[in-house]
Amino acid sequence: MSPHISHKTAFFLGKGGVGKTTLSASFALALARAGYKVLAASLDPAHNLGDALGLKLKSEPQHVEPNLDALEIDLDAWVNTYLEESRSQLKSTYSYNVTLNLDSFFKILKYSPGTEEYAMLWAIEDIHCNLAPLYDVVVLDTPPTALSLRFLSLPTISGLWVKELAKLRETILSKRNTIVRLNPDSPVKESCLDKDDDKVYGKLSSIRQRLGTLEHLFQKESFLNVIVNPDDLSVSEALRIKDELDRLEIPISTICLNKRGMVNGQWHIHQSLASIPLFSFDFESNGIRTRDQLTELGIQPLIDIFFKKGSLSA
Amino acid sequence: MKLLHLVRRGAKAFIQVQREKATGMLDFELKELENIFALLLLGGFAGIPSPPAPIAIELLPYLEREIVVLLARSDLSTDAIGALMGMLEID
Repeated sequence: MSPHISHKTAFFLGKGGVGKTTLSASFALALARAGYKVLAASLDPAHNLGDALGLKLKSEPQHVEPNLDALEIDLDAWVNTYLEESRSQLKSTYSYNVTLNLDSFFKILKYSPGTEEYAMLWAIEDIHCNLAPLYDVVVLDTPPTALSLRFLSLPTISGLWVKELAKLRETILSKRNTIVRLNPDSPVKESCLDKDDDKVYGKLSSIRQRLGTLEHLFQKESFLNVIVNPDDLSVSEALRIKDELDRLEIPISTICLNKRGMVNGQWHIHQSLASIPLFSFDFESNGIRTRDQLTELGIQPLIDIFFKKGSLSA
Repeated sequence: MKLLHLVRRGAKAFIQVQREKATGMLDFELKELENIFALLLLGGFAGIPSPPAPIAIELLPYLEREIVVLLARSDLSTDAIGALMGMLEID
């Protein structure tokens, strides 16, 4: 089957414990069994996707069953890779400075705010650029809300910073050019004068391009599902997700009410979420133990709207 | 011949002095811009709002000149008016 799907990446977001892993596994399985080549990837450091699919997952795609591969990203490895690249660059540039104790500096940086989110972003970029072309659909099981919102907002927020820094860099390069033109013997001539030769400008441009690709993925190419349970806490969190994603111009495709019937009594979705298509999945009192049970959750309506929104032509 | 050579050297020195004077203000402005650029990137370590630390770390290997300017500027930070007066050659 060679489908054309513009939204080929599906995200499952929500409060911890609402059933993101269960629904993402069920969604991935149903698509795979319908004949689409699917990659299910867990971004959640808790890594329950392997438990749901009944297989020990690694950072490389593992074959789960025909048409379905799965992986769990190794966040620690991504943090180390990213820091190692910067460390070796720094070492080669500042090699004369023997007093700079880079190793201990980088051990601390591992715990610097933002490093984990960045590592997650580059892991998603790797999946999007290197693995996604090999599959029809990529299903991403995300970590609980706080971390997910941080990595979803990073491309937009960092993109603004990088844009302004690039503008400032252009002004610096233009000033250097003017000085050297007026005074060819100025010590400024030793610095970079041209945008094409300036490594800082080049690096800013490459970061901007990478962030732009991810921003486009989140805003335009994703099928984003927010999972709630019939309780006020998870709905409050869904409202916060909606507020934040509205600010970032990332559209929510569906709201999935999981564990319907878990509590007795009337329950209504909040009116702010009422305009988004709602899908409900019953509470399984005996739990879900096998892959076949995952496919019996009634995920087909969600797949139908995925195809509809993604302009699929199978 | 010798006199001509001396005149040439004198004229060259005079032109160079004028060039230095002409670019003095621009040079000061450039150093300020480079200082601001480094401050924006690395200011997070000193509590100034800045982009996420990983962006600063990715750019850090190429910021040698900006860090030198930043450190030189921080030496003058307690006497900013003195630095400005010096640049304008006001005694």
